[in-house]
Order: sequence, then structure tokens, then C-alpha cells
Amino acid sequence: MYYIGVDIGGTFTDCVLVDREGNHRAAKTLSTKDDPVPGVLAGLERLAGTVGVDLATLLERAERFGHGTTIGTNAVLERSGARVGLVATAGHGDALAMMRGAGRVAGRSIEDVFSVHGSRLPAPLIVPGAVVEVPERVDASGRVVVELDTGAAAERIGRMIAEYQLDSVAIALLWSFANPAHEKALAQAIPAVFVSSSAEVSPRLGEYERTVATVLNGYVGPACSRYLSDLESRLATPLLVMQSDGGVLPASAATALGTIDSGPAGGLIGVAALAGAYGHDHVVATDMGGTSFDLGLVVDGKPVVAEEHVIDQYTYRLPHLDVRSVACGGGSIAWIDGATGGLRVGPASAGSEPGPACYGRGGVEPTVTDADVVLGLLRPEAFLDGRMPLDRDAAVAAVGRLATRLGLTAEETAAGILRINNMHAATVIRQQTVERGHDPCDFALYAYGGAGPVHAFGYAAESGVREVVIPLGGGASTLSAYGIASGDVMLHRELDRSLLAPFDGPALATAVAEVRDAALADLAATGVTGDAHVEIDALMRYREQLMHSLEIPVPPTADGGTLLAGFDKEYVRRYGDGGTALFQAVEVFALRARVSVPAGIPVARPELSAPTGPAQTDVYWPGHGRTGTDVYRGTPEDMITGPALVELAHTTVAVPHGATLTAGPLGELRLKEF
Amino acid sequence: MTVWDGVQRGYIPAAELHIHESLRLHTGTADVDPVTFEVIRYSLMNINLEHGQTIQRLAVSPVTMITRDFQPSIITESGDLVFLGPYLQYFSNAQALTIKWVLENRSDNPGIEPGDMFVSNDPYVGTPHQPDTIVAAPVFAGDELFCWVANVLHHSDVGGSVMGSFCVDATDIFTDPPAFPPFKLVSRGEVRRDLEEMFLRQSRVPTNVHMDLRAAVSANRVATGRIVALVDRYGADAVKSVMNRVLDAGERTVAGRLAKIPDGRWSHRLYAEAAHTGDTGIYAYQITVRKQGGHLYVDNAGTDPQTGSINVTYAGFSGAFLAALTASLTADLAGAYGGVYRRVHFEPVPGTLSCADFPAAVSPAGIYTMETLISLSGAVIGKMLACAEPDVAALAIGPAHPVFYGLISGGVHPTGEPFVATNADNMIGSLAASPAGDGVDFGGHFWIPEGTASNIEELELLWPMLFLYRRALRAGAGGAGRFRGGRGMVEAGIPWTVPGMAAAVYMDESFPKAVGPFGGNPGSAGHFRLKYGTDVAGRFAGGEVPQDFDAVAGAEAEVEAKGPMLMMGADAAWEWTGANAPGFGDPLTRDPAAVRADIATGALPADLAELVYGVVPGDDATRALRAGRLAARLASAVPPAVAPATVPEDVPLRRLAGELAVAGRDGRPEVFASLTGRVVLAPATGNFKDGCAVLERPLPDVAPEFAIREGRAGHRTRYREYLCPVTGLRVDSEIIKEGDEALHDIEIGAGR
Repeated sequence: MYYIGVDIGGTFTDCVLVDREGNHRAAKTLSTKDDPVPGVLAGLERLAGTVGVDLATLLERAERFGHGTTIGTNAVLERSGARVGLVATAGHGDALAMMRGAGRVAGRSIEDVFSVHGSRLPAPLIVPGAVVEVPERVDASGRVVVELDTGAAAERIGRMIAEYQLDSVAIALLWSFANPAHEKALAQAIPAVFVSSSAEVSPRLGEYERTVATVLNGYVGPACSRYLSDLESRLATPLLVMQSDGGVLPASAATALGTIDSGPAGGLIGVAALAGAYGHDHVVATDMGGTSFDLGLVVDGKPVVAEEHVIDQYTYRLPHLDVRSVACGGGSIAWIDGATGGLRVGPASAGSEPGPACYGRGGVEPTVTDADVVLGLLRPEAFLDGRMPLDRDAAVAAVGRLATRLGLTAEETAAGILRINNMHAATVIRQQTVERGHDPCDFALYAYGGAGPVHAFGYAAESGVREVVIPLGGGASTLSAYGIASGDVMLHRELDRSLLAPFDGPALATAVAEVRDAALADLAATGVTGDAHVEIDALMRYREQLMHSLEIPVPPTADGGTLLAGFDKEYVRRYGDGGTALFQAVEVFALRARVSVPAGIPVARPELSAPTGPAQTDVYWPGHGRTGTDVYRGTPEDMITGPALVELAHTTVAVPHGATLTAGPLGELRLKEF
Repeated sequence: MTVWDGVQRGYIPAAELHIHESLRLHTGTADVDPVTFEVIRYSLMNINLEHGQTIQRLAVSPVTMITRDFQPSIITESGDLVFLGPYLQYFSNAQALTIKWVLENRSDNPGIEPGDMFVSNDPYVGTPHQPDTIVAAPVFAGDELFCWVANVLHHSDVGGSVMGSFCVDATDIFTDPPAFPPFKLVSRGEVRRDLEEMFLRQSRVPTNVHMDLRAAVSANRVATGRIVALVDRYGADAVKSVMNRVLDAGERTVAGRLAKIPDGRWSHRLYAEAAHTGDTGIYAYQITVRKQGGHLYVDNAGTDPQTGSINVTYAGFSGAFLAALTASLTADLAGAYGGVYRRVHFEPVPGTLSCADFPAAVSPAGIYTMETLISLSGAVIGKMLACAEPDVAALAIGPAHPVFYGLISGGVHPTGEPFVATNADNMIGSLAASPAGDGVDFGGHFWIPEGTASNIEELELLWPMLFLYRRALRAGAGGAGRFRGGRGMVEAGIPWTVPGMAAAVYMDESFPKAVGPFGGNPGSAGHFRLKYGTDVAGRFAGGEVPQDFDAVAGAEAEVEAKGPMLMMGADAAWEWTGANAPGFGDPLTRDPAAVRADIATGALPADLAELVYGVVPGDDATRALRAGRLAARLASAVPPAVAPATVPEDVPLRRLAGELAVAGRDGRPEVFASLTGRVVLAPATGNFKDGCAVLERPLPDVAPEFAIREGRAGHRTRYREYLCPVTGLRVDSEIIKEGDEALHDIEIGAGR
């Protein structure tokens, strides 16, 4: 029997299987964008080939089939989603359009934030004009102030659906998370379209973000449902869908909103699954690809969760694995800032089209990948297993032009490009760890993605991390698919509830029980059975610190005192005990339950191809100059000492002077002493 | 003799600072290669951003954490700005001024040592107004003062006669909140409890201020630690060299752009009403920018003498101008603006509203005079850029809101705790139209890029009130133009769960202040309305949420521009508006398709298409209607003194903006001309208005939405249109106080 994971990315569709012994196989095919199903089937066919069966047999033997889709993300970015109308509380239907006045800048890079020129609001998500404001009102305490006339409201909503030819309606009323009665009544009264209710989708304070979440869910929902049922109809096993919070859910229970940006979550959940087996509690997970660098953290064995997320300048709140993306990848373009004379790298990227100069597709600007080629870290003839030879001369010419202007050699310039790109990556690593009160040197750094392993030694050293792991070795390039195959069924449930310290024990216990029961009910509704495991965090802050939130675990035996002590400890750990003092009351403002049913899938061991080598090449190592360097193809069996390169199917691991690279018992590669 | 010492008059540092010899400054430099340069530059920029993020997380007042009314900075050892964050931009030089003053006045006593932090909210030293409190920390490398990190936070209340510390009734600084010259709050790492309590004692909400003050201290510590680590790694000389090069690069950048602007002189004037509670006067602010060679010279001549509470000091004047200039001309420097400042020279006239001497009151400046000056600066900079080469002309961004509309109310929670509710929902904002196109609806404010309005639910959680609506303003005459200004917001609320509260600060303008550039309509006026004894509760019970303030029963208060505190009972209701931002160019030249698109999306009421834009169904009918309107304008206008001459066909016209063009041979502008009519308006050094037909009306007569009740200041204003005497198209327009002379706005080629 097989556990299968399929991850659709912008360029490749990755398919992974793990069998009951933990044997791991992977296949990569080109994605078919307009209708992803053929690409998925082609990938599965190739995956079947790796274990010597046909597609039908593979599907029959699939005990579990996990899937991560970009349908939702693409629908938003390309504005190809459903025709959505909005139902709002009387007087507040413009909240979505007004975007709290921050719509021009939300989620944009720092340079863009300063520049008002040419900045604009994003295209609307709802059909312009399709808003019904319903006379009803609930106040901050959840008390009904103005009763809802459900019949009259439903009639107006019905007329809006007909007039604007809507296939989706989003209901987001003020304070509905405190009292969902009106939203529930409307949801039941609306005729057959895709209905999303804010108290279900994102039951948290803040009507703008809650409305965005609800509208997004409605915007991507119909297409997601169609696609997932189409795919599921071709399988012999129920489809499990990857969600951005790091869990998988049956297709019938998965939320459309949760599929948005769920791909990076798959990678992080894969890392978390492997980290336990590899013996790491704290991991910085880094995925460097062609255009972006994605970073997530595993702390105490658990992936770190965040709330606020921005897609195309729309901000919403949903518990999701905190994977931050910055524009520093292989395609990042190097340039000279005329005013300072400094060398800059990014944020502009050559992407995959035209791509770096060395791709030979017409790109002329020097990129990070071109710098790799100039240094010799990437050998043109060995790129992607030799399937895509690179144009070394083009890389040298592109970097050389920059070098001439800087008065440096091409190699010095290339080394400089890497140093700056690595610094960008290391800055995010440091911000993410230090911001949470951790020291990067307590973390192992996992590097994957096409450009991760070749640069990891540089950005790991820059951020103070001491060990780099290439998870699954040669399987690192399909790590997200592995995470999707192995992810637990899991969901989050939040309860917005204000409790002021000193906490009243019974009130706390009641709230904890309420969120726990709600989470278990949600799980039951998915139809998934098995041993459910519930963890509860309190979201805490000093009262009125609305932009702040600390997650404090609530152990089963917790009383108010231990919770408060936990908050104090965490606050001091992050901000020190001097500067911030305790003049204001501490509050719990929400509780978050995570309920999961462990997948129980054995830890994967990648297939090891017979290593060859070492051959010899010349590499310009920053700080050492040009040095004869061993090149291995495939995972070497014995420990190797740098300088060396290890070329894997989709990436290269760079082992600098004095560093060691060892294959672990589970097929991972460990880089130390860099 | 009164000097610019920060005591009797706003502090202006001399070129050479007088620093006590016991304080050693680090001035070393080193060669830094282009790669290391970038590594250090990027690190410094990120240190400043993290500084801002730390403040945001730890602060508790919504004005700080959500509105982003704060600003972190990195500043050189001698007080020059290296990096500003994407927060409130008129703090551009507040920290630099304060630090220079500290260097000159505190370096011997009590001394400047590692681990110290100085606090000041003295407007005569460096802050725009007293709630904006600066905390500055010296960073040492060894025994040398290496640089400073500093922040400014707006505190919810720092005392004074009015809740929230915008003391519109103040007549001098002794009724304003207390102003503390720089004092050492943190000494060698220890917070001085005596001084901290002295500062907190002035506040109506000391707990809130305490949290925010400690957030400022903590954030400075974080930034200091990061800089020390950077210095340890790369060496003080290398890091300092990077700071210097960042400053030099800023200067080079602005110099390159100034080179594309002809020498000349540009002026703009903007009026405010009511100098203090009970006053109905109209007051003029004027800024003139002279560009000569690679430098700008900025003065405020023409501004009325200081009076009431509508003043700022030098810090405010220069801060506002620099904020507008950098946002427009050098936004690509992303906060590394210190080098730009080297090319801007202020020649302020003291004793005026925009450069007041002690003891003028300034505390309301944060919502009035600072915005007035930013709007005014944007307008004058826009005129200057209109004369520049196209790539620099495209950087004009139009005048900002001239007031930060809002409502400050206060009272007591049901629990008995006092609250001061500073409602900054006008962060929703709206951007003015510009030569590039329409302003952005709900586009915030360019001078506070990351500013965000609160959610209604956040406000209802924090304060005992309930909001009937918060919705978009529809477009109208206010903000109309060839390109229309962005749309703003309007909201209404009632006290909730309490027997009442007080409205301490509110804005009700009797006339719009910011005119649209080059013939655009003014933005809309901000309004505050209050009704007593309303039927809201009854309508709630009847299943209705009132949505039309006119239809709310009750007695309406006669509100003044800066009226006294108004008590609001449980059955009161209020409404206040932000504003639609000014338009650009003559509304009669707006593309009819754009007008129809605005109707289709609901942005513009259908009946205003004809009234405001002369657009009716059918292109021919629209052309005919517009032609009739233009003719009617000329029929009512006073023609120019000299009969119009036409620019010969073989002389090329170059558009400056809208209908204003210059003509001349060999690329040298010789005369101003109208673009469509090709009428010679004036020599390039003369006033183009002299050649225009002039149509003047009381401003309340211009459009129904500008109408106001008798006796208010707006009736003493005029809207003056300068028309091409042949086509009737607007070349420019002015809002002008009855009896004031027309302004000479643009002189090209004018030297010193």
C-alpha cells in the first residue's frame, strides 16, 4: 500500500509515494496550468513507473492520497474566480472597498510602500456593486441590538444574485464571531449558490479582514470544489487536501480559503515530520527557488503558526503555517545603485522567463544563478541532471559587465552577489528567530528547493546556524509533496473571548472546554475517525495591545496562574525585562484549538542512486579563490570534506572549505563545520 | 536679540554645533567595497524597520499601533538623518533637531553617556507638537559617540486644556500641554523613576502613556543593540562610511532631479479658519520655493502673524515641507532622506503662524497646521515640478488633505475607567488627483504610508460607542477635475452602554481649503454634525439602523469650526466626514467615458455628471453642453486688461500642466500661454493670471455642497477661476479671502 502526495507548483507537478516500509519515490512532470488534472495523471503515471506498476494499480494501492492545489491562489492572482456578492451589516458594506485605507501598500515591499507614484488599490474581488446591506446589528458583547428580518433580507439577496448573476455569496456581518445567529439564519435562507459565512471562515475580531477572508473563500470556492471533485472521481481513495495551516482534510471538508498558499505549508509540514526522525527540535526551513525564498520555523517540533496573511494587497486572518516569502532566489537580478555605487541584488527577478542569462533564453542581466555559474558552484553541463545545459559564456558576460563597472573581477563580483543574496536570506532568518526570542544557533537549517542547497552554507553561516540538513537528500526537491503525503488530518478552531488577568479559573475552564468541544465537533463533521489529539493555545497580550499576540500553550491542567506565568515568561524572553513593564492588565483575547489525527506514516527513506565520483572541477570559493574541488554525483556513502560539490537530480549541494557532508541513516545529508 | 535657540524661538542649528569637548564624537571613515557597502546599508535599513515593528507590537494606543503615528530613525553622531521608516513622514527632522539641541545643550550637563536616553516634547526644540514625544538614544563605539537611534510616538494625552491634548482653545503655550525640553529619562540603562512619573503625571491616561513610553524605550534598546553588533562585526569606521555614503547618495539623487527643473520661484497660499475656540477668522499660510542652481530656498513670507492655537514652530514648518518634498521628488530613496535635506535651505519669517515664537500655542498642529503645511507644500512643489522636464514633472503628487479630519471624544467606561478616544479613521484618506490621473479612492495619505484605519469592531471594543455606518463618500463637485480626487469616508456613531460622553475635538469646515492644481476643483470640506435627543433607539427597536443623518430626528447643534467641548447624552448621534481630495485640471475637460464609468460603479451620483462635468447622454450633446458652459463662463468673467494675443503657429507650445503652457524658441520659455487657445498670458517672469479672464464667486455659491449657514467664515471666501480668454477653459483657480490680492504663483527664470 502507498501513501501518495501530489503538489502542483507553477512549473512542476511533484508526485511522491511512501510505502509501509518508508521507501520513498518521486516523480516530477510539467504542470498543465489550465486544467491541472492531466498533469497530475501524467505525474502519477511516472510515479507508478518508479515502482513498476501501471497507473490503475498505483491508484488501487493508494491507502492515502494527499493533494496540494494552487487553483485557489491562481484564481485570486489572475482574477478568474467566481462572481461573488457581499452581504454586510447596514452601514458597513464599504469596508471591503475602503480596505482600512491601507490597500495601496498592504503586503508590498518597503520601496513600494514609500512611493505613492503609480500605487493603487488591487482589483476588486466582488462583482462591482454586488453588495446588500442588511438592517441588523450586534454589539461588542454579542447582544442583538437590531433584529434581523431574515425573510426580507433573503429576498433582497436573491434579487442581487439574479441581477448580478452571482454564483457565490459571502456573508460578513459586524460582530458575527461573537454572535453568529444572524449569519446562520441568512446562510440557511439563501438560495442555491456557494455561501460563505464569516463566523465560520474566520471567526475573529476585525470586520475588514474577516470580510476579505469570507469573500476570498467565496471567490475561489466554486472552482476549488469543481476541481477537487473532478480529481477525486478519478481516484480509488478519498482525496485529502492540503490546507495552509499544515493539516490535510477530506475534500468535502477542506475550506477553499485554506488552499490559498498551501504549497509552502506542505514543505514545512514535511520538514516537521522529518525533523523528529532526524533529531532536531528547532528547525529553520528554507526553500530557495527561482524567484523567492520561503522561510518557516519549527520550534519544539511544531511548525510556527501565524494569523495575518496578505494576497494581492488583501489582508485576512486565518491560522496558517508562518511561511514568509522574500524576493531572493536564483533569478534575483544584480545591479548597481548609481547614487551610492553599491552592488544591489533583487528584488527584481528574471524569473523563469527569460530567466538568468545562463539559461540562454534571452536574459542578459546577471542573476544569482549566473553568479553560481561564474564561480563554478553550478556546472553548466550537470544542471538538472544534464537535461538543461547552461550557457557559461553568457553568465560570465553578464556578470563581467557588472564587474567592469564595479572595478572588480568577475569572480569577486559573483562572490559579492552571493554574499548580498545570502545576507537577505539571513536577515529574514534572524528576524524570524530573534523576533520570537530564539537564538539562531539553537536551530538546524533545512535547505531545499532548487537553489537552496547550493547557497545554504552561505546564508546559514551568515545567520549563525551551525548545521545544514538537506532533507531526504535527493528527494529534497519534492519535499512539499512528501509533506502532503505524510501530513496529519488537522484543523484549527478559534474562539474570540476576552478574559482579564487575574483569570477566573472556572471562566477559563469553560472557554477552554468550549473551544475544545467545537474543534472536536469540527473534526467529527469531516468524517475522519481515529485518535484525536487536541492542543490549545491562549492568544494573549496586554490589554489594548491590539497589534500584539503571544501564543501561550494551555496544558490540560492549566489554571489561571500558570497561564499568566507562561505569558510573563514569554514576554520577558522576547522583549527583555527592563524596557517593558507591567502597568496594564494581561488578557486572553482568543483561544485556539488544534485537533489532529496522526497519519502514522513511516519516516521516508529516499532511494539512493549509486554515487559516482569524485571528478574534479575548479570552483572560486569566496574567501579562498579558485580551488580544485571534488564533484560527486548522487549521495556519497562516506563523509566528504570540502571543498566539494554534490550534484543531485534537481540541485547541487555546495560543501565549502573545511566543512563536512555526511549522509544520515535516513538518506538526509548533513553539512557541518562550514 | 531673539535667536533661533529652541527657547525663545524654534531651534535652528548652526552649521557648526557647539558640543562640549568632553564628549568625543566618532568621525572615522574607512574604504568600503561595493559589496560590503550594500551588506551594511541593508542591515542599517532593516534595523530601522525592526525598530518600527517593535514599537508597533508593544504600544497600546491605536494612534501609534494602527495609525502609525510614530517614526523611528537612525541618525549620525552629529544629528543628520540616515534612515527614516515608512511611518509618519513629517517627523522627518524632528529627531535630528532634538538630537542636535541635546548635543549643544546637554553634552556637559547632565552629559551624554552610553545607555542614556533623552526625552523631549518641546516644539521649540524639535517636535511638531507636544503629544509627539521623542526618545533619543546615543549609541557608543568605545568611548566615542558613534550615532543615535531615536523615535517619536504620538501619545494619547500629555495634558493641557483639552482631552487628547489638541488644545484648540489654547491662546498660548501656558494653556497648552506642558512642553519638556530634553531630559535624561534613562541614565546608563536605568529608567529614572522620578522623571518618568513627572512626565506621566501630566496625562489623563497615564497607564496608556506609560506602556507607549516603555515601548519607545524598548524599541530604542533593540535598535541600539543591533547597531552595536554591526559595529563589532564590520568596525565603526566602515559602518560610519556607509552612513556618510547613504547621505551623499541622497544628495546626489536630489541634485540630479533639481537639475531638470528650471530656476524659478513658485508660491502657494492656503487658508485656515478659526485660530481658537470661538474665533471665526480666516488666516493665510504661504510658502514660496525658489530654485537656484542645485538648491531650494524655502520661505513662509505672506503667512499671517502667530495667533491662537493654529501655529507651529520651525520644526513643524520644515518637517512638513521636507515630508512633502521627499514623498514627491525622492520617494525611491525609501527613507534615506538626510542627503536631500542638505539641498533645502529654510529662510523662515519668525513670529508667524508657520514659524511661531515662544510662547505661541501649537498643540493642535498634529491635526491642523501640520496638514495645512503639508498640503500647501505639496501644492507649491507641484507647481515647481510642472515646469520640470517630463520625468521629473511626473513626480508631482498633488495636495494632501489640509486637515486631519477626525473626532476626539472622551468619557468614562461603564467600569469607571476614563478613556480618551482619538478616532483616526480618516487614515482611510484619499489621494489628490495628479497630472498622472485620478487620485486613489481610500488611498490613505502619502505622508504616512503605512497608516491604517481601525476596524469598527476594534473601536467598539476599545470605547463605549456604536457606529451606525462608515461608508465611502460619493464623488461630487468637491474633488472634481480633469482627473478627480480620491474619495474619502463618512461615519456616524452614538454613545453605547454609557450615559454619554464628550466631543472634545471635532472639525467642521465652513469652506474647503485645498484648491485643485491647474483648474481642478477644491476637495470637499470636512464636516461634523451632532444631534441631540435622537430617535435612534426607537429605530433600532423597529428593526432599522439609521443610514441618513438628515433623516435622524432630533435637534441639530450649530457646530463651529473649532467649537468648545460638546456634551453628548445617550440619545445623541454624531456624523463626521473625511474628505474627497482635490481634483486636477478643469472638470469640463474630463473624459466623458471616465464620468460614465464612475456612475456605473456608484462612485458618482448620476445627476452630478451634468452639473459638475457637463456630461449628458450622447457625445454631441456633451460637446454642445460643454461649449455652452465655457461661453457662459467667459460671459460672466472679467476679461484681461490687455486684448489677447495669439502664439504664432510656428512657435511650439510645451504643456506645463492642464491648460497652462509655455512658448518660446530654442526651448527657452519666453511666455506663458494657454494650451488649447494658444493665447499669450504673460512673460515667463510675469504672472500668467494677468492674461486670463477672471471669474469670481463666493465659494458657497460654486456648488450646492459648499453651501453653509449664514455668518460662517466661508462666506468671506471667493473661488476665483483664471480662464483662457478665448476658450473659457480654466488655467488655474484660487481660493481667496475676501479682499486679498491674487497670488503670483509661478515665475520661471527668476533668480535670487
